[in-house]
Amino acid sequence: MSEVTANINTKIKMTNISKIFETQELETHALRSIDLEINAGDYVSISGPSGCGKSTLLSILGLLDMPSGGEFYIEGINVTDLSLDEAAEIRNSKIGFIFQSFNLIDELSVFDNVALPLRYSKDKLSDEAIKKRVNECLELVAMSHRVSHKPNQLSGGQQQRIAIARALVANPAILLVDEPTGNLDSKSGDQVMDVLEKLNENGTTICMVTHDPRYADMARTQLKLLDGSILTTPELKAAV
Amino acid sequence: MSQFIYQQKQAWVSLKKNPGFVATVLATMGTTLGALLCILTLAYVLIAKPLPYPEQDNLHLVVHHIGDSKGETNASSFTYPGLIHLYKNQTVYDKSALIYYDQDVLTSVDSQPTLNTLYVTPQWFSLLDANIHIGREFEATEALDSNNPVAILTYDTWVNEFAADADILNTKVTFKGVSFNVVGILKQSFIEPALSTTGLKSQVILPWDYNGMNERDRESWGNISSSQKFIGKIASGASLEQISQTLTPLIHDTWREKVAGVEFFNGWKINMEAVPFKKQILGDSTNTVYLLLAGVIGLVLIACANISNLFISRTAEQQRQLSIHAAVGATKGKLFKTIFAETGLLMFFSVVIALMIATVGFFVMQEFLSQRLPRVDELMINWVTLTSAIMISLLFALFFAGLSSRMINYRALNLTLQSSGKGTGIQVSKNIRKFLIISQVAVVTSLVFVNISLFKDSVNTINQDIGFHTDNLMYTTFSSAGATRPERDMRKQLMNEVREKLTALPQVEQVVQASSPLNGFNLWATTVVATNERFTPEAKHIDQNYFNMIGQTLIEGDLFTAADVKDENRVAIVNEAFANRISPTESAIGKQLSFGGNGNTKVIGVVKSVHIPGDTEEEILRAYVPTSLAENSMIIKLKPDAVITREQVVSVLTSVTSQYNIFELESLDAQKSQLLFTQYTTAITSAVLAVITFFLAAIGLYGILSYSTQMRRFEIGTRLAIGAKRSDLIGLIINDNLSSVILGMILSIFVLAGLYLGFSEALADYINLMLLTLFIITISLISLISLFACYWPLRPFINRPAIHSLRGSD
Repeated sequence: MSEVTANINTKIKMTNISKIFETQELETHALRSIDLEINAGDYVSISGPSGCGKSTLLSILGLLDMPSGGEFYIEGINVTDLSLDEAAEIRNSKIGFIFQSFNLIDELSVFDNVALPLRYSKDKLSDEAIKKRVNECLELVAMSHRVSHKPNQLSGGQQQRIAIARALVANPAILLVDEPTGNLDSKSGDQVMDVLEKLNENGTTICMVTHDPRYADMARTQLKLLDGSILTTPELKAAV
Repeated sequence: MSQFIYQQKQAWVSLKKNPGFVATVLATMGTTLGALLCILTLAYVLIAKPLPYPEQDNLHLVVHHIGDSKGETNASSFTYPGLIHLYKNQTVYDKSALIYYDQDVLTSVDSQPTLNTLYVTPQWFSLLDANIHIGREFEATEALDSNNPVAILTYDTWVNEFAADADILNTKVTFKGVSFNVVGILKQSFIEPALSTTGLKSQVILPWDYNGMNERDRESWGNISSSQKFIGKIASGASLEQISQTLTPLIHDTWREKVAGVEFFNGWKINMEAVPFKKQILGDSTNTVYLLLAGVIGLVLIACANISNLFISRTAEQQRQLSIHAAVGATKGKLFKTIFAETGLLMFFSVVIALMIATVGFFVMQEFLSQRLPRVDELMINWVTLTSAIMISLLFALFFAGLSSRMINYRALNLTLQSSGKGTGIQVSKNIRKFLIISQVAVVTSLVFVNISLFKDSVNTINQDIGFHTDNLMYTTFSSAGATRPERDMRKQLMNEVREKLTALPQVEQVVQASSPLNGFNLWATTVVATNERFTPEAKHIDQNYFNMIGQTLIEGDLFTAADVKDENRVAIVNEAFANRISPTESAIGKQLSFGGNGNTKVIGVVKSVHIPGDTEEEILRAYVPTSLAENSMIIKLKPDAVITREQVVSVLTSVTSQYNIFELESLDAQKSQLLFTQYTTAITSAVLAVITFFLAAIGLYGILSYSTQMRRFEIGTRLAIGAKRSDLIGLIINDNLSSVILGMILSIFVLAGLYLGFSEALADYINLMLLTLFIITISLISLISLFACYWPLRPFINRPAIHSLRGSD
């Protein structure tokens, strides 16, 4: 993890990132030479047709998967070639995930679900500090009244708000959001999107994958992906 | 048909993708079913299979019980004249034969082997359907009192001793100075009924008249011998009771008449019993078979439970494919057939392996257990084995397929397809999983602990210091070649010469005149003269160099001198245990013992006690007295790494005399191993069982945990996504299962305590502090496999990028 000098505002910087899936007979280029920079406070949406590489890009952004080539920095730290445990550490401290299917753990209470990233943190926090931080985050998503419930006792929209609280709890550099409304009715979906918008207004950097143009429009920077390449990045270019 | 072939192909392809699973199933089911088939075949042979003799139910061995005036049976052996009387006068059996078991030295070949000889009357052949390979069987010319010296060899003897010589007929074989004309070879397929000792195989059949009974005993109504037997086939439907009632007066009355003048036999009775062949041959071995069967079925059940777990976890893995099959219209029955094709293929290969293992098992039993279990010679893959194999494999294939297909919840299939993250079509409740872990750990901990304890106990006995050396030592016994022994002075002279010539051999360091220190003790009624206290120590005749040669330590007093042996002085050396009993407070040296007869014997030395393997008591009293120079047993000490062959000893012996043969020649090491046979068998069996149990436990726990890990893959993926490290997840799984494992271990303590309470008397000898160490070792080993079972299923999730666990399929 070597640090390079970079704009202090640059949260994510990808250069020439590619991803190739190889099987015995076939090479599939899921991503080709992606250049991407996300700055502090940005709200970026990535959209495109099915199979264009959205999810692959998001998993590489979230260090859930490794790129086949190129360079990748998060807050100036080179994360291109990390071991599994090093990647876990970065994920824990710098990335907050929000999944389409919420991915809450049924056996754990709302509180424990939200606190989970802090329990895996390198810096061991006191129980008191954990409680304080979890409650803060639950307040941000207006779910303070449901701390001791189990996820399956909540509605889909509520579950997704809990998932957002969990993503925020470790003060990540960026929130990575994967089709956050995909499993929700439109009303709950709107509520969730409102929460995200407010967070962004208060300074949270967000990168969201969605195929819903309505929600994609809510982002200030909209990237379109087709066959593994970014089609237009007008505002980003301006930013560079 | 094409559908069948298609399904087999699909099953083959699907299995090929998962070689670890296939290997585990084949290894587990192959081994356990192999053991099951082996024991099932044994059970069939011992319990259900008819004996290989015509009209086997009508064949009896007649037993001659002789009881004292108190009505207790003293012995169950015939007197020689009584046996002949029965043979000549009975009318119950329309066919009967006399049998005499012996061992004799075949002196007409250079190696002079000691062979098991069998002396019979002619009807022995037709009673047992003992057919002839070449030549003829015994006929009227070999009937009782015909004195016709002919011999029939068994097929193995013909092959092993005479290289299957085609011109064997009318050649001579010599035993005890008599030349017998070979008139026939028995068929290879003949199986001798083990009427005397289990596993004993006679090698040469000779006419009854030449049996080893001396002239005096042939007339003696007061002497009995267990070597001689009577067999017969009843024609009528007489019951055993009726036969006994007919034969008893026939023998008893005559016997009473003949021993009327002997006061000792006043009030004694003879009772005749007819024992069916089957009962005689099997003895109590059917109990052993039921025990073995129970054990092996237990093993199969454990294996079956474990493999069920594996199938459950495999179905869990395959849920997506199965859902897709269902989505495109596969009915429940079709899915069952798909799964059955796989389980069927697996069970087919398992049974092939099982049959191979069973064959090895038969060989092992024939090689090592023929002295312990009857009829093992008849073990082979037969229709029972094959039918059982087919039935068992079909049953298990159906069972596993049924189990797997029942797990598929058709109502939830849709859910499986639609959301990769939430809800699964396949669920085994958490409590069942916990119960499986607890029971698995409890059973395995108990079994492994018991097996390790048995192993340790046997190894301790094997390694126990016996108190003397056996290395480089051989013992040999000479038997007289003719019907009569040479005179005593002659014997002294001959044995002295043999000893000197043996000592002169280049590979020999020393020769003493004594029987092996591992046996050859007799019980002597002994009285301590001063106290009139009576003992029955084990006594042995030895020469002056015996103790030094075997390294048995003298504690006090003196060893015998050459003069003691030459003059056969009345002196004795006793072991420490006996010395302490003769005179607990002071030295035993100088005390006088009486062995009966005239004159007393003086104790001149005390030696350390030896522990002969198989000694039942801790401290056996032993006494040693000077041997006579006519002693025909010798212990030969070889130079390091030297060997001596039977032929070399034979040539020494024949250069001195033709009046003696070598009866036996064996190393003390070999003899010691034979005495430790039970311990070796126990050690090996318990070690193998411990390893198998261990292996099964590892598979069982792996199966359960693999399933539950499979169930939690999305949770694991989520945890990874929010930053859990590998160690965090390993810790998580271990933590989740720790309580079940510990509970299982605690339960095993109860199981073991229960065992102890149930069998406390039998187990008392085994209970000591060492067991605590063994239990800790067992617990550590079980912990180790539990850790393995936690880690191994997790491996594919934590050693790859997290996205693989988060995706619905890969």
